[in-house]
Amino acid sequence: MPITVKQSFSLSKKKFFRAPQWELKLAARIFIGFLILYFLVAFLALGVALFFIIRKIFPDQEPVSVVNQWILYFFAIDFLSRYFIQNPPVTDVKSFLLQPITKIQIVRRVMFRSLTSFFNFIPLIVLLPFCVVVSKENGLTLNLWIWFLGILTLSGVSNFLIFLINKNRNVALGIFVFIVGGYLSETYLKSPIIPYVSSAFDKLYSQPLWVGLLLILFSLIWYLTQQFLKSQLYLDKGLSKKKERIIGSKLYFLDRWGVIGVLLKNDIRLIIRNIRARQVVLMGFLFLFYGLIFFTQDIYKENPTTLIFAGVFVTGGFMTTFGQYVPAWDSEYYSLLMGQNLPYIDYLKSKLYLLMFSVVVCSILSLPYLYFGKNTMLIILASGVFNFGFGSLLNLFSGAYNATPMRLNVKAKAFENTQGFNITQMLFALPKLVLPVIIFYIFNLLIDFNAGIIALSMVGVLAFFMKNYLLRQVEKIYQAKKYETLAAFNKNKI
Amino acid sequence: MISVESLSKKYGGLNVLDLQELTIPKGEIFGLIGNNGAGKTTFFSLLLDLIESTSGTVLINEINVQKSEVWKPFTSAFIDESYLIGYLTVEEYYHFIGALRGMTKEEVDAFVVPFEPFFNSEVLNQKKYLRDFSKGNQKKAGIIGALIGHPELVILDEPFANLDPTTQIRLKNILKEEAKKHGTTFLISSHDLTHVTEVCERIVLLEKGVILKDIKTTASTLKELENYFSN
Repeated sequence: MPITVKQSFSLSKKKFFRAPQWELKLAARIFIGFLILYFLVAFLALGVALFFIIRKIFPDQEPVSVVNQWILYFFAIDFLSRYFIQNPPVTDVKSFLLQPITKIQIVRRVMFRSLTSFFNFIPLIVLLPFCVVVSKENGLTLNLWIWFLGILTLSGVSNFLIFLINKNRNVALGIFVFIVGGYLSETYLKSPIIPYVSSAFDKLYSQPLWVGLLLILFSLIWYLTQQFLKSQLYLDKGLSKKKERIIGSKLYFLDRWGVIGVLLKNDIRLIIRNIRARQVVLMGFLFLFYGLIFFTQDIYKENPTTLIFAGVFVTGGFMTTFGQYVPAWDSEYYSLLMGQNLPYIDYLKSKLYLLMFSVVVCSILSLPYLYFGKNTMLIILASGVFNFGFGSLLNLFSGAYNATPMRLNVKAKAFENTQGFNITQMLFALPKLVLPVIIFYIFNLLIDFNAGIIALSMVGVLAFFMKNYLLRQVEKIYQAKKYETLAAFNKNKI
Repeated sequence: MISVESLSKKYGGLNVLDLQELTIPKGEIFGLIGNNGAGKTTFFSLLLDLIESTSGTVLINEINVQKSEVWKPFTSAFIDESYLIGYLTVEEYYHFIGALRGMTKEEVDAFVVPFEPFFNSEVLNQKKYLRDFSKGNQKKAGIIGALIGHPELVILDEPFANLDPTTQIRLKNILKEEAKKHGTTFLISSHDLTHVTEVCERIVLLEKGVILKDIKTTASTLKELENYFSN
């Protein structure tokens, strides 16, 4: 009996509503729904505006032709992002293997599901309005819509190519070299490689029959992917766990710092050996560049209060992304830690030191922002001091209220990152971000810029000197919530 | 070693555990048996202060586990895989546990060497993370992990399950030897009546959270228990 779309949907529905804490997840989904809506509107607007932007900048060129010059870069970046983020949705395939469903049906289900990936919607939602506008302004032509179909087909090809290359590093590297090399050689050497490839898209537009070639290509890739995935449906092939190399085994120098060092060693291993943790740390690292958005724009120069916001992000990126999940990182073995000869205060101290250390590292790494002037640097450093002393404690404090367990070695998908997501965490994000802004704002308004900087730093310094007392208070909350946290962490064992 | 007084745990008005009185002397190998839902794991979780009792107290060496944490240095347990740290190798895991019990890396390494026959060359020096171990080898790793530093009290939930026959027999010997040499108190739950009667000096039978039998193991115990469970 073939598995119908209805059955498949019903399974997904049950999976969702029967998951522990599904109400929370629903709230998270709604929030993420809004986020998706935002992106949807943004991309749609981009699609509509694209035509007018092109007409303004390149008045004597055909809009589609201008798009064609850039679409190759789009596909290259699209392909690389897919390479890093997109995973074939094969996780729940195992349970179907023994059911009276043919393998090809399972494979097709996986392939159809992969087509609903976010990446496949980008060309659709950007180019659809673009084509509508072009049709309206320049007249409706079949060429345009066949070109549109061709681009969508290519997006589909890209979708399945990811399956076929199967995380082959060389392919990704080749594409990376191609983009950068192509761009550089076109800009500096006037090399014709990229324009030559781009002209193929012009061909597609002027001679729509070429779309046939793309459709054949798509069918071929579809067929190959189907065969490939079918050959992988074995426990020791595509469904097997990959053997991992041991990394970070030589950290014993940390032992000299006693129990705290031992715990830090574990945290470092946790970060480098688990997919989820690596993702989060990478995100924290990306926040280092967040300042570029603000510091490069002159409108913010007049308004240093907004820049504090950037400073808090730049110096506290890792601290926030890692810190907000603090007990949750250890959720898989929290019972073990609770039974060990390990006082809560030492556990918290080790996390606090890790967060503080990360702020120091981020502050040092943000020294190049000196390029934007002394005041910018002062803003960053003051935010750093605030994060170092007070932000780090605030993160531990908010963590006490986050009892959503974390599965360490599972990748979070784009827009499905509901793991550890929590409304309370959202609320706690406010003081972490808004408090430093308010402190600076008041002193900047009443006295001057320097007073704001000093006030913000003083909060951090004061908290640092009171850290033992404050940490004791945080510990009390953790103690009080111990059973609740344990129950939540153990309930969701899968 | 352990004394329990009118300990109860209720979930939504339902009594999961209700122990009037239970005392376990030091050095005893204590067996806990009972069908699923009898309250064995609940009892262990209460001993380890992982869940809050509805009423009553647990004293380990006269220390109330809910009021103080000083019972932790001499107590250890292996209940399930959540007592392992998946992203560590076995050696790193042992060093971690050892460090929390005040042992150096070298001391821990020396400690686990005698257990090599039990590991059957499948646990140490594997160059893989604990999460990639088979269930059986995870169990072996966890049980020995609970012995590191010779804690006075060791709690093992179903230690025989998932182990191959050879390893089960070796485990029985290890438990007996540890108890004899170091005076370790063992609390063991199991569904395997043969193993329990062979290893444990005293067996308590739980049903629906209540103690039904509390017997000193003799030659006839196995028969007695089999009779009970076949009805």
